[in-house]
Amino acid sequence: MDNYRQRALLAAVKKGAIDMLPLSLAVLPWGILFGSLAVQRGFSWLEAQLFSAIIFGGAVQIVTVELIADSASLITVCFSALVISSRHFLYGLSLRDRLSPQPLRWRVGLGFLLTDELFALSSHRRAYLTRFRLYYALGAGGSFYLAWNLWTLIGIVAGSSLPDLTTLGLDFAIAAIFIALVVPEIKSIPSLIAVLVAIVAGVLFSLWQFELGLVCAALLAMLSGYSSAKLLKVYP
Amino acid sequence: MTMLTILLLACITFATRYLFLEGRLPIRLGANVKHLLSFSGPAVLTAIAAPIVLVHEQQLDLASDNPYLWGALTAIVVAYKTGSVYWTIGLGMLVFMLIGV
Repeated sequence: MDNYRQRALLAAVKKGAIDMLPLSLAVLPWGILFGSLAVQRGFSWLEAQLFSAIIFGGAVQIVTVELIADSASLITVCFSALVISSRHFLYGLSLRDRLSPQPLRWRVGLGFLLTDELFALSSHRRAYLTRFRLYYALGAGGSFYLAWNLWTLIGIVAGSSLPDLTTLGLDFAIAAIFIALVVPEIKSIPSLIAVLVAIVAGVLFSLWQFELGLVCAALLAMLSGYSSAKLLKVYP
Repeated sequence: MTMLTILLLACITFATRYLFLEGRLPIRLGANVKHLLSFSGPAVLTAIAAPIVLVHEQQLDLASDNPYLWGALTAIVVAYKTGSVYWTIGLGMLVFMLIGV
């Protein structure tokens, strides 16, 4: 019986890792970019790896490495990290009902692993509600963590001897994966409106290089979806 | 000093991720807030993906030779028709690369 349970949970971990694989591969250029950037900007190998090992956030790492290397003040560095990370508040709020009743080790573990990518794989009806789904998230988030740290290590070691892979268009793969995850979620007029507003606001804020653009675009889109649902009397 | 900064940054990132997962935090989400949050997944993912497709070198790129645009349109159609992540990535990437060459 125990053996059977263990195998079932292992299968859940494996399924999570496999579902995350396209995203784990798609961030390879940025992991390598971060590792080589950190070394070029004068960080030790250990420090560079620690960024990925304990901060574990792509955009935060790239921006703060530049800021620290340019001797920005500690306040500036921390404030930038907070601004870039602020979208996580939205993820935590969205998953609060599912994850807050879970034991501490699950909350801390999955909380630490809660990247954009893990959130992208969190839309399943029973996500985080069953043991299978918890282990699934562990497999998805954990494998992404290992991949990100491995890409960082490659960047640290190989550094500038590698060509810049970020121009290969792997960022398109991220967009395609997100499209694949979003399109099936558009089941009503309000959700279509939310997505259209997210496109317009996301593009506009990006053109304006507005630091809080992502969070604000998402909030605007959510409010548009919500208010159109109220107006059209569509209930969830 | 650098080590301390890295540690501090780790605390900040973790705090933003963990804060609302803590049950003892005295907030309760009402039905309206939950309804609002039900749009968060598509909203965030779209807000991340749209600029990847449409903004290049800080300019709106609606040119007919923008491979991201054609790849994304393909991905939308394939995702709608098949609902499969792998077909969507596969065919989207194929069109993206064919136009990009």
